Amino acid sequence: MAWNAESSDEELMLHYRDGDAGAFEALYARHKSGLYRFLVRQCRNAAAAEELFQDVWMNLIRARAGYTVQAKFTTFLYRVAHNRLVDHYRKSNQATVVSLEGEDGEAIADPPDERERPQDETLDAKRQAGRLMELISELPETQREAFLLQQEGGMSVEEIAQATGVSRETAKSRLRYAMSKLRRGMLEWR
Amino acid sequence: MALNEHGTGGANGGAERDPRLTRLYREAAHEAPPAHLDAAILAAARREVGSRPRSIASALRRWHVPVSVAAVVVVSVTLVILVREEEMAERSMQAPVRAAESRAQPAAAPQTPPTPGEATSESAQSRPAAPAPQRQELRDDVKFSAALGKREDSSRAASPGLAEERAAPASADTVVADRLESAPAAANEPDRPAPGAQRAMSETPEMTVRAIGKSRPAVWEGFEKEPPEKWLARIEELRRQGRSAEAEEMLAEFKRRFPEHPRAAGPR
Repeated sequence: MAWNAESSDEELMLHYRDGDAGAFEALYARHKSGLYRFLVRQCRNAAAAEELFQDVWMNLIRARAGYTVQAKFTTFLYRVAHNRLVDHYRKSNQATVVSLEGEDGEAIADPPDERERPQDETLDAKRQAGRLMELISELPETQREAFLLQQEGGMSVEEIAQATGVSRETAKSRLRYAMSKLRRGMLEWR
Repeated sequence: MALNEHGTGGANGGAERDPRLTRLYREAAHEAPPAHLDAAILAAARREVGSRPRSIASALRRWHVPVSVAAVVVVSVTLVILVREEEMAERSMQAPVRAAESRAQPAAAPQTPPTPGEATSESAQSRPAAPAPQRQELRDDVKFSAALGKREDSSRAASPGLAEERAAPASADTVVADRLESAPAAANEPDRPAPGAQRAMSETPEMTVRAIGKSRPAVWEGFEKEPPEKWLARIEELRRQGRSAEAEEMLAEFKRRFPEHPRAAGPR
């Protein structure tokens, strides 16, 4: 059975497992940008992000022969990415700092508004987007991860929980905090 | 693709997507992996498919039919070879027995009923005596008949006329047996006829037909005007030579010609 543009990710991966390199190319084209952005935002280092990006795909390629459909492909892909990120944090001693500031249950305080309110009330979308990216980068690691998985991976709360290896409630809490901070930070730009 | 609008529902209490944030994020996020990374990963993916073996299950699925066909071919060829070897072994067992039977036949000849050779001799009585060179032809006839019999054996074709011809003269079998004995190695190779028989078989079919068609001269030719003692001496000589059938044939003619002779009436 051949695959086409409407084939699911899982079908493409099964075709690749059975030796169809074209199916992998289609799968890669679908997810390469989202995964790359996820890693860049999480690493905050382009070179490290590229290395991790390559590692994640190479892991996927090597796991090809034993692939079976047990979960959504994006969950599988981003779980691999999450694990590689954890390894990366451990190596760079970044994890401790990040996890401490990203603990769930922290008080949702208003972010410090050190920016000057723009004179022009009709800020263009580009500047608003830039402000959003700043706010995202200021999020605690786990909350940023939850938000990026939702935006780049198109994942639900349950899928975020699976990909990051936490309970549904934890994933939901992280995502809620992240959204709350971002909304609050963007209020002034309305 | 990256910004799929999978709704998380209101049950997620504040964790659901915010359309405005999503739109702003889309406008801001445009990074893509560099081309060299794409090339490296895709090349690795193709290399993996090309060089690494598939999983065992898929390999089995792929090779199921060819392996089955190959197994059937191997089994068939093995069976054919085994059957052939068994046939050859059977023939090699039968060849010495046949040779031994041929050798034993002259001794049993006196007890056997009259052969077609004897019938021929009776019919030859009314004929004028053949000249001496015809004796050699007679021997050739006998040898050709023997060769025909052998060939018939090997092909297992049951032709009544030829079988009769083969069974007829004990002396012919004796000739063949002698030749088999003179070539024991050949007797061990059942598929190859003995050199004598092979030589006889190599002669043309026309010769064979001509030889069979000729009437056989009588064994007593040249003795018609000889005294009884010479007949008896010749008969003894034939017996000594192991040509019992010819001796019997000549003895029968002797009895017919010299019924008053004491040897004709008494035991042989």
